[in-house]
Amino acid sequence: MRRKSALVMTAVMVAATASACGGGSSDSKTIKVAYQKFGNFIGADELFKKIKPVFEQQNPGLKLKLIPIEADENSYYTKLNLMRRSPKTAPDVAYEDTFFVNSDAEARFLRPLDDDLKSWPDWSQFVDAAKAAGQAADGHTYGIPMGTDTRGLWYNKQIFAKAGLPQNWQPKTWNDVLAAARQIKSKVPGVIPLNVYAGKGVGEASSMQGFEMLLYGTGDKLYDDQTKKWVAPSRGMGAAFDFLKTVYSSGLGPTQQQALDPHWSDNVAGQELPKGKLAIALDGSWLPQAWIPGGANAWPQWSSVLGTAAMPTQNGQAPGKVSLSGGWLLSVGARTKNPSAAWKLVQLAMNKENSLFFYVKATQVSVRKDVVADPKYLEGNPTQRFWTDLVSVTQYRPAYNVYPQISNQLQAASEAVVTGQSSPRSAMNDFAGQVKQIAGPDKVEARS
Amino acid sequence: MVAVGLPERTVTRRPPARRGRRAAGRVLPLVPAFGLLALFFVGPILWCVYASFTDISLTGAGASSPHLVGLRNYRQMFSDPAFAKSLWLTVVFVIGSAVIGQNVGGLALALLMNGRHRIVRAVVGGIVVGAWVLPELVAGFMWYAFLSDHGTFNAILRAVGLHGGSWLYSSPLAAVTIANVWRGTAFSMLVYSAALSNVPDELLEAASVDGASGWARLRHVTLPLIRRAMLTNLMTITLQTLAVFTLIFVMTGGGPGTKSQTLPIFMYQEAFKFYHLGYGAALAIVLLAVGAVFSLVYLRAMRKEV
Amino acid sequence: MALASPTAPRRRTAAVAAYAELAIVALAFLAPFGWLFLASLSTSPTLDTSIPDEPTLRNFADVLTGDNLHSLANSLVLSLGSALLTLLLAAPAAYPLSRYGRRFGRPILLGLLFATGLPVTAIMVPVYGLFVQLDLLDSVPATVLFLTATGLPMAIWMMKNFMDEVPISLEEAAWVDGANGLRALVRIVLPLMVPGTTVVFTFTFALTWGNFFVPFILLIDPGKQPASVAIYQYFGINGMASYGLLAAFSILYSLPVVLLYAVAQRTLGNAFAMQGAVKG
Repeated sequence: MRRKSALVMTAVMVAATASACGGGSSDSKTIKVAYQKFGNFIGADELFKKIKPVFEQQNPGLKLKLIPIEADENSYYTKLNLMRRSPKTAPDVAYEDTFFVNSDAEARFLRPLDDDLKSWPDWSQFVDAAKAAGQAADGHTYGIPMGTDTRGLWYNKQIFAKAGLPQNWQPKTWNDVLAAARQIKSKVPGVIPLNVYAGKGVGEASSMQGFEMLLYGTGDKLYDDQTKKWVAPSRGMGAAFDFLKTVYSSGLGPTQQQALDPHWSDNVAGQELPKGKLAIALDGSWLPQAWIPGGANAWPQWSSVLGTAAMPTQNGQAPGKVSLSGGWLLSVGARTKNPSAAWKLVQLAMNKENSLFFYVKATQVSVRKDVVADPKYLEGNPTQRFWTDLVSVTQYRPAYNVYPQISNQLQAASEAVVTGQSSPRSAMNDFAGQVKQIAGPDKVEARS
Repeated sequence: MVAVGLPERTVTRRPPARRGRRAAGRVLPLVPAFGLLALFFVGPILWCVYASFTDISLTGAGASSPHLVGLRNYRQMFSDPAFAKSLWLTVVFVIGSAVIGQNVGGLALALLMNGRHRIVRAVVGGIVVGAWVLPELVAGFMWYAFLSDHGTFNAILRAVGLHGGSWLYSSPLAAVTIANVWRGTAFSMLVYSAALSNVPDELLEAASVDGASGWARLRHVTLPLIRRAMLTNLMTITLQTLAVFTLIFVMTGGGPGTKSQTLPIFMYQEAFKFYHLGYGAALAIVLLAVGAVFSLVYLRAMRKEV
Repeated sequence: MALASPTAPRRRTAAVAAYAELAIVALAFLAPFGWLFLASLSTSPTLDTSIPDEPTLRNFADVLTGDNLHSLANSLVLSLGSALLTLLLAAPAAYPLSRYGRRFGRPILLGLLFATGLPVTAIMVPVYGLFVQLDLLDSVPATVLFLTATGLPMAIWMMKNFMDEVPISLEEAAWVDGANGLRALVRIVLPLMVPGTTVVFTFTFALTWGNFFVPFILLIDPGKQPASVAIYQYFGINGMASYGLLAAFSILYSLPVVLLYAVAQRTLGNAFAMQGAVKG
């Protein structure tokens, strides 16, 4: 008898399970939006919570279902793409990294928006660089940019004063940057003069805030959009590796232990800068997110202690400064049952008022001209104007699906240089060989 | 109920059952468990094997129309020096932290605690188990903080007049191995405590009266009696340790360079950073094979023992 | 019970040595916790270990939110559900494997063991597909079933081995009285293997408690996510984390499993008593 009761119990549980299913059904009356919500990054969540009642009121009969995915970027992306694989669970609208536009278009996850954009007056307010970020290699636009981030130099004015350097600093060339670092090294012992990310520990920060900020200031690039080939080796690449070698081998940078630590980028924002142990940091526009009241490392004095300067090009060649950008798009899923409602949601979420709301909540740099003119946008963050101005020169990474692998090799190459395992030249040649293996030999060209 | 036989010789007679119903009666209790496993695992495992021969990916063309690529993933794997290194690191990590660290440490702790005062057992056991139940993510951060330049470990070393060091940088594999011993020993301790509670005191008393030393009692009386527990423990912790990801990822990220990049880290990079699910599946199957090899070695060794 | 045996003095020395060794082990295991406790009491902790200037309990107050308690309750449902279900399924399955199925049972079991050793990350695509097909996505009971399945082979294996340790002679008396296999299992075998069962239960519970990926992938509604997922609220984009809150939440998150162990410890104590009774 007991055996039977155990079996019955199991059967009941299985049956209960089967009937207790939820959520999955997908119809044209419910618009599902999936987005990332991660730690203090709750801007998207707040945005969609704000517009849910508005959307439902403007579109009677339609429901907006929010699907916040609480995880780091890799996990978010894994879950999002699993959901997209199945028509039943594919969201109608999703929060999409600009970086994935090409590969997700290729995977047929995204719906082209070209026709819709023609009749959207707001589109003319978006800056060209950001428009291009939503465009895939096939020429179609797959998403509306939700703002961006830019990169440049943060410097500690108190350390600069001790070193006899100007409070209002703007280097014109790489040599100016190195000269300032040398002066700090000799005048202010005990601080790290200059941090430029390198090595595998900090991951993409090493490629994007580090190496690429150098490379893109030499006139060379990682990928040539005209020839559609990866560029390695190149003269600019050699110069960038030389710069890293100079910083790390002459004691101008952090120690190898610090630079290769997987938590180094976190420590820079959380400790080194706030505690005045780092003089110049080549880093991102988003750092104040940690320092504002309620941030992970509240530091009320940050705006008076730190100054900002654009990263100069190698020898001051035009346009004189360099920046790289990432950022997010709002995209419509290829499998949506109600494309017009999905597009309405995107329009609503990315209109002037809501864009501004999101930029402020998520410490994003504006890509809408009308928002930049709004005083509310610059309120509360004295450096916002500076980071926004960099949008005029900023560039995006090559958004191809082999990029993560190539970036990984770039990190390995810079690690070999800063640890002295390889000379800049041989690291560059090793890297070029790896790129040929990853992308195919016919997809790579050398430039000298 | 006087004779308590040794487990090895116990299974001689069978429960009574009539012939016709016997087979069914024996198989029936297996059905719910095996049914559940069949439901959830048969398909996915076959898929995993199949995927390892394709170029399926999470994004890009491989997401919408994957192709069969034959043995390409496996060929790529075995020609990649990074894979060979990763495999080696994994084996060293498993032997160091599971087979030696957790297994021996857990047994030693269980022996030490056996018969001690209840409060002592509860306190020591509680601390050790606390390490085990802590989320892996948090354990990773704790060990990172513990071993960092300004961490507790260096502070202790300096307090006793020794030099500190950048342990995560200079000896990353040793660092993650020790952290994993710290984290996993509780399980072995629990298994061995349970097993030791089944060792009849009379046998130890008798051996003791015969003049056997502590070591000899352990070697000739206790160990043979807890052989099965040891096998269970070794298999379990090996499979667990083979899968350790978060702890290493948080502490060293697999670095510096690839100095602590075990197979799960390698797989994560391929599947999540490079989106090569097919290659990731092939790596998973190799990981499985490594587990199988370890288990076969244990089964062999345990059969010979005694 | 031997009160005064000839080896008493030697035994006392051994006991003192054992207590000393246990103290050292306890301290060694305690040391890495230092950062966690200090950070949880600090207003602005970093990954450096330092004693907070003004210790505060604010982090704990801040993490005791309704949402967090809700996520802990979700964890409890998932972990308790899968640990109980595991025992319910593993015990009957282990019994025939232990008592009659030596020859054929072992290869099957080993095969299963390896197969479920597959990293979940490697099979998440078909598992997700399966859940969509069966319309089980976002269902807590289905997630419990899947979590049960992932730990089941290990649990059956462990149960079978603990069962092997229970002498069959005890059941023979029951058989003579006409009890069938299952009744013998419930009445005789299981009570004798309480320590082993406790290990299996604690193991399954703790494994599920810490599992991030399975609930993350299989549950959609954020209100159903367990604490292992909720902990990510203390991290941030670009790696910035609130360590004080993270540490406080981690302590809160670990407590239930420590409590479970404390309870299990008492059960283990009772088991010793029971064993004595049987032996007598």
